[in-house]
Amino acid sequence: MSSDTTRAASLPLFVPKSRRGLAALLLGHPTFAAGLFIFAIVVLLALGADILYPGDPQDMVGPPLLWPFADMEYPLGTDSLGRDVAAGLVHGARVSLIIGFSAAAIGLVIGTLVGAAGGFFGGYVDNILVRLTELFQTVPTFLLVIVIVAIGEPSLPVMAAAIGIASWPTIARLVRAQFRSLREQDFVMAARSLGYSDARIIFVEILPNALPPVVVTASVMVAGAILTETGLSFLNMGDPNLVSWGSMIGGGREMLRTAWFLTALPGIATALTVLALNLIGDGLNEVFNPRMRER
Amino acid sequence: MRLLSRAGRSLGRTLLQAVPTVLGIVVLNFLFLQLVPGDAADVIAGESGSATLESMEALRRQFGLDQPVLVQLLSYLDHLAHFSLGFSPRYNMPVGELIMSRLPFTLLLMVSAFTLSLVLGIAFGTLMAAFARRWPDRLLSVLVLVLYSAPGFWVGLMAIVLFSVKLGWLPSGGAMTIGADLSGWPAIADRLAHLALPSFSLACFFIAVYARLTRSAMLEVERQDFVRTAQAKGLSAFTIQTRHVLRNALIPVTTVAGLHLGNMLGGAIVVETVFGWPGMGRLALDAVMARDFSVLLGVLLLSSFVVIFANVFIDLLHAWLDPRIEAH
Amino acid sequence: MMVLTSWGGEAASGRSASVWRRSALAALLLGAAILLPQASPAGAATVTMVQATEPPTLVSLTNVATTALAVSAKVTEGLLEYDEKLDPKPLLATAWDVSPDGLTYTFKLRDGVKWHDGKPFTSEDAAFSIDLLKKVHPRGKTTFANVSAIETPDPLTVVLRLSKPAPYLIKAFAPAETPIVAKHIYAGTDPASNPNGNAPIGTGPFKFKEWARGNYIAYERNDDYWGKPDPKVDQLIVKFIPDAAARSIAFESGGVDFGYRTPVALSDVERLKALPNLKFETKGASYSSNVTRLEFNLDNEYFKDPRVRQAIAHAIDRNVIVKTIHYGLATPTSSPIAPGLAQFHDPAPSPYAYDLKAAAKLLDEAGLTPKDGRTRFHLTLDYNPITTEGRRLAEYIRASLARIGIAVDLRAQDISAFVRRIYTDRDFDFVVNGASNLFDPTVGVQRLYWSKSFQKGVPFSNATHYSNPEVDRLLEQAAVENDPKVRVELFRKFQEIVGKDIPDINLVSPTFLTLHNVRVHDLVTTADGAEGNLAHVNVK
Repeated sequence: MSSDTTRAASLPLFVPKSRRGLAALLLGHPTFAAGLFIFAIVVLLALGADILYPGDPQDMVGPPLLWPFADMEYPLGTDSLGRDVAAGLVHGARVSLIIGFSAAAIGLVIGTLVGAAGGFFGGYVDNILVRLTELFQTVPTFLLVIVIVAIGEPSLPVMAAAIGIASWPTIARLVRAQFRSLREQDFVMAARSLGYSDARIIFVEILPNALPPVVVTASVMVAGAILTETGLSFLNMGDPNLVSWGSMIGGGREMLRTAWFLTALPGIATALTVLALNLIGDGLNEVFNPRMRER
Repeated sequence: MRLLSRAGRSLGRTLLQAVPTVLGIVVLNFLFLQLVPGDAADVIAGESGSATLESMEALRRQFGLDQPVLVQLLSYLDHLAHFSLGFSPRYNMPVGELIMSRLPFTLLLMVSAFTLSLVLGIAFGTLMAAFARRWPDRLLSVLVLVLYSAPGFWVGLMAIVLFSVKLGWLPSGGAMTIGADLSGWPAIADRLAHLALPSFSLACFFIAVYARLTRSAMLEVERQDFVRTAQAKGLSAFTIQTRHVLRNALIPVTTVAGLHLGNMLGGAIVVETVFGWPGMGRLALDAVMARDFSVLLGVLLLSSFVVIFANVFIDLLHAWLDPRIEAH
Repeated sequence: MMVLTSWGGEAASGRSASVWRRSALAALLLGAAILLPQASPAGAATVTMVQATEPPTLVSLTNVATTALAVSAKVTEGLLEYDEKLDPKPLLATAWDVSPDGLTYTFKLRDGVKWHDGKPFTSEDAAFSIDLLKKVHPRGKTTFANVSAIETPDPLTVVLRLSKPAPYLIKAFAPAETPIVAKHIYAGTDPASNPNGNAPIGTGPFKFKEWARGNYIAYERNDDYWGKPDPKVDQLIVKFIPDAAARSIAFESGGVDFGYRTPVALSDVERLKALPNLKFETKGASYSSNVTRLEFNLDNEYFKDPRVRQAIAHAIDRNVIVKTIHYGLATPTSSPIAPGLAQFHDPAPSPYAYDLKAAAKLLDEAGLTPKDGRTRFHLTLDYNPITTEGRRLAEYIRASLARIGIAVDLRAQDISAFVRRIYTDRDFDFVVNGASNLFDPTVGVQRLYWSKSFQKGVPFSNATHYSNPEVDRLLEQAAVENDPKVRVELFRKFQEIVGKDIPDINLVSPTFLTLHNVRVHDLVTTADGAEGNLAHVNVK
């Protein structure tokens, strides 16, 4: 089918033809590999949270305000209520990843739909959607998230929805730009002349080709969503039934002078996870855009 | 002259484009008012720990909350049409005055953070591009990536632990030392000391963004023909870097910088809370908590105007940086 | 943008360089204007108070948020002040008399008192204020409910005529609770929007000077204060520092001098106690004692059954709450009347002692056996977001109830949504809440248990929807009972019944500490401590 060949022709060149190809890919991009490695560790910890630290991380299990390594039963110490910091970190990883991915997914879906509609149809549909995108971009993102959480209630699904709703404009602009350039290409004209419906052209023909920069941005969106959730939980606007890295930073805030490890450890965990995601994003960017590779 | 007339046309076009955005913000704010549970009278009763039916009714009458929804919307629009931001019944003063009292602090924080992030970011990026792939580049890249990834407010908290608690060099919060007899140079020093940590916390993420952008843009530009021409002409490496390469590399940097300006207000909310900085970020947060929608609307409108005009400024900057670009 | 000016290049750059230079200069001037603060007079004796949040108004007339109470009395005084035992002392009133039948209150006012704008203070102002408070003050309607007439026989005498006795009334005249405002400023205006709330004129030792929103309030010495040579300080600054750790640091470094209602994080108190330049004071908190409680929604299907409520009471250990959540800075109380109101507080322990087995047995008897071997049923717990301890207490309750098989989910919201949910929508199972007893149980406690105070849409009314005719009778009688001994007995019976019925579980009464730098003296001289007019404060 002509669409298959055109699609294959415009696919990025990195699709590994053999396992040696994948290994070579990772060796050629060491930072990409490092990012994947760190992220894999975080994911494993999050998945294994119930095995490593069964029960509720909010249970008061030990003497309060133990420093890390003081008592090997609580290797990373305890907080002011005697809760195990290590348990909190591991369960918090789960929360961060869930929010990160679901918020990014919501933002991606909304942004892609809006951007595709505007980029493909043009005219006044595009005009309205562009105005809408601009409107959402001028409202400060964090404030918008806070208001949406206030409308619902601080719980995991609401927070993910709020962050997703606040972050779709970036994707929309990107997708719109992609669609505007791609819709003039030959394969689209060919598809039209074959009588394909608009919906088929958008989703089957153009969208797969528009995806590479979106995929790159997606990793950054996950990182951004995790950072936003951290800020929200820090301000005590997170889900009170869950331990998240942000709520741990917030809880340790009043003990900044004496037990600053309570703030430092979850912050380091957040920074590492976000770092890993950014390295993955950079790696994907290098791989999809070989022109940008340095000397 | 061309620049000025371009500026005039951009401004005019921008003002026209601003109208639907303003209307959009008013409608958004209004929707929030309807959807968010509780109202300003509930907040005051909650803070007071006491209430009677009469006191609640009196509060609602005072705040105009007993009016039907459409009447409230129309009164918003009416104020805007008269270029007034309305009156905040909770603070009992005009919204414009309230915003003006906090605006200087926000401007101070945002301008200093913005400047710091551009200066440091461009400086780092230039260095990284100059030593591309060698160890200074690698080292700076790691530092930049950490700045990119760590939550800004957390960096601020760690900075408080280091510079304020352990070393005692910088104050841990507030905008100035109040009630002290300071004037002249010691006063400026005091203000700058209070500004240092919050400004840095806010700037962190953006330093990293601009550094990375500058580096990649400079490396991209360096390979182009006109640079080889300049080298052939015998110009020094430094002149080439600053006069030609950097100037062109700044275009993507300033574009992104313009986009970020609007988001600085949102990021400032958490930084202002951590440092007790009396800016508009916290004002906006307090307004949401207190269900004071006239103040929230005022802050949103101001923020959108800042973004719109920043974009105009960026367009003009581009036109100056590269005359080939038509400011559209 | 210094980087940009360093380039030369095209011809246009010469002109643009000068444009940049001029803009840079303008920016520098603007920066200087922002950076330079107003200098205060040299050599002034200044004392600084710290508050976490800014008040919405500076006069506690229509709004009694605790932040407003903190600053109001410095400028706007009251008729009386009270010592530690809540016995009245003169302030704007020099003598007072309550008739034996409790229906006539006569106040002799101080002579020679002037408002900050120079006009004289007379009984007209006092009468006008009390009448206004009865109309617009959130508590005024109930406090002055029995006042049927106010007379001013001469410029220095005001007489209150009551329709029924009000045994608590003589304690109501502290300056922050019952502010006396100027008739010539408030007459004929809307008290809520009167600009006096932002720049008050009063009779107090301090005059309002400046309010830098979000930052601080500055008061200066009233040189014509009636209590000369007071005040002994020239300037009072109220600083707003929202972050608890920052407040601790401010106290340590001397950036602030005093604060009340435990102005630092509870976890920091031990550490700060050891510092030589700081002192903690337990006195000065007796005008307003708080009780933290767990309120049940008696319309909820589970809580209709008293056995369920009793089981939950058996599962909560007040001593753990005092120790871990309040760091020892609280007193357990099973009575709604706080230990701080010693005259009325009944120290008898709750009939439902901490006993997990008894709790489990009661739930089994109620037919709520564990379905899957662990969980009996689910509940949602809300908590008042105004204090940080509220959430921790909710977490403790969740953990406690998990041990007897009740699965609890916490629900967070901000204060506006909280008030709406609990008092208007009544959409809750049970809630961690707190309320002040104020200066008398009739004023602070009755509203929580009296069936007639249950009104949807009125916060801090009867949230549980409790209705017991015997309790109603006891409360109504105590509200007008002149004989103090009889009154004490009435409240004792009330506490006994409520302790058995447990429409709510009273848990602890937080200890409010006043923290001050050792250079500050005579800060706490009255029952309301730092909430008073601070006329005697001096610094060395």
